[in-house]
Amino acid sequence: MSNTENDFHQKLSDAVVNMEDAAAASLSQEVVASGFDAYEAIDKGLAKGMERAGVLFEEEEYFIPELLMCSDAMYAGLDVLKPHIKTDEQAQKYKIVLGVIEGDTHDIGKNLVKIMLESSGFEVVDLGRDIPPAKFVEKAVEIGADIIGLSTLMTTTMDGMRAVVDILKEKNIKEKFKVIIGGGPISPAFAKKIGADGYSGNAAGAVRLARDLCGVVQ
Amino acid sequence: MDSISPKERLFRVFDKKSIDRPPVVCPGGMMNAAIVDVMNSTGHTLPEAHHDDRLMAALAEDVYTHTGFENFGIPFCMTVEAEVLGSEINFGTLNCEPKIQTERFADASQVEYKDINQMLKQGRISNVVQAGWHLSHKNADVPVIGNLTGPISTAASVIDPMNFLKGLRKDREGSHKVLDYVVDFLIAYAQLMIEGGATVISVGDPTATGEILGPKMFKEYAVTYLNKLVEGIGKTGTPVIVHICGDLGSVKQYILEIRSQAISTDAKVNLRELKEEYPSLVTMGNLSTYMLEFGKPEQVSVQAKRLVEQKIDIIAPACGLSTSSSLDNIKAFTQSVKEG
Repeated sequence: MSNTENDFHQKLSDAVVNMEDAAAASLSQEVVASGFDAYEAIDKGLAKGMERAGVLFEEEEYFIPELLMCSDAMYAGLDVLKPHIKTDEQAQKYKIVLGVIEGDTHDIGKNLVKIMLESSGFEVVDLGRDIPPAKFVEKAVEIGADIIGLSTLMTTTMDGMRAVVDILKEKNIKEKFKVIIGGGPISPAFAKKIGADGYSGNAAGAVRLARDLCGVVQ
Repeated sequence: MDSISPKERLFRVFDKKSIDRPPVVCPGGMMNAAIVDVMNSTGHTLPEAHHDDRLMAALAEDVYTHTGFENFGIPFCMTVEAEVLGSEINFGTLNCEPKIQTERFADASQVEYKDINQMLKQGRISNVVQAGWHLSHKNADVPVIGNLTGPISTAASVIDPMNFLKGLRKDREGSHKVLDYVVDFLIAYAQLMIEGGATVISVGDPTATGEILGPKMFKEYAVTYLNKLVEGIGKTGTPVIVHICGDLGSVKQYILEIRSQAISTDAKVNLRELKEEYPSLVTMGNLSTYMLEFGKPEQVSVQAKRLVEQKIDIIAPACGLSTSSSLDNIKAFTQSVKEG
């Protein structure tokens, strides 16, 4: 019995949740071969699966290794499906510049945020780790970003977050960008104190925060 | 009433004997107190001291003298191990600690297994060992704490951390093999430090948290290899402290399984409650490093006295200190503990 489009969506979603990258890739090939819509398969299959994985992560059923495996499955499917997206379906995406503040080379959390944002349809420019504050501003201006996302795991580098907000204020462009921050030592109070627009304690929350700040209907 | 030496006081805690007041220490390594204020006043500075045994010892002595922490602690980074295992290190600056520039291997299957005795002659190992020797001859009453980067964190500093974490699920055999190798190396390195004069070994393993690994993998990997390490070091009779980063949450149930002489925790953990739940546990911690950097001496003092009142066994910072923490705050911390 052949799969309906909905079957494919469900199976793709399951492959992501079950961390099966080979299955996600072969199902995606079948989607293309069957003539079903690639964008829908991403949105209702792969992204849906990643959203479910995010819920399991928040519920502490899944932890970082599991979430990373899920994202591998998502990207395996995405690699197959992306070239088949019809151009008129490529909606205007909100852009986020993301990175870990200078002095800190821990980027596990930042990578998770990137994965969750990408799977939710944001365009993420990942500067990487150990990034000087000025670089965030430079990149955000260059690409016309909507959001600047800053991560740190170390109390020693929290001042760099404040520096990013201060640079934006100095240049009188603070209102052009929303600054969101997160990471081990960060708290909502700290975000408020330095003038950031939002804080999230985890990757799934970062997606909700980014959607909120961009006015995306959830 | 300082009739017993700092070393004796600390060892009495490990042996669960009575003491006049808790020791206040800052072990070194991930949690070192080489703050800019101290380095600028003495001229014994980082990053130079990472590479020079005499300078490393001098800086450890400066920290002891200026801050009031009751130990010598070396080294001042978490990169000695990864460097020897092959990763590229950025040695940082006066106010920024060394970090891994590039992990050497893409995943566990790529790891080259080198001869451990050869590795012990490489990198900065002999500098750290020698610094321990200098310190042990400076003041025999002060414990010399040699610091290790724990097994999971060391492995994740040598293998790309994302791939390493995935490998814990995808390639269990390969992951166990790497961790076995890493721990064998860590034990040998610790033994050298102990022969050189280190009297306590402290292990910081910031990647081995419940928040990152979850309970199942924390048990399978973190508990297994921390214990292998603790047992290997324990053969020398030297006490071991294990520091666990982040909230204990889902892995609290495994804390008693870790067979170190003390467990140090992050500021998120309520040590008083942890002590109530596990009365046999020797607890260490956990004054907020955020407070040490941004708080006022009076606030620090209140919090320090609270830890004493809660009968935390060894008082220490909760996490890595910012190099811009003020000396006044740190002094308020150590003095408040000493006054009780």
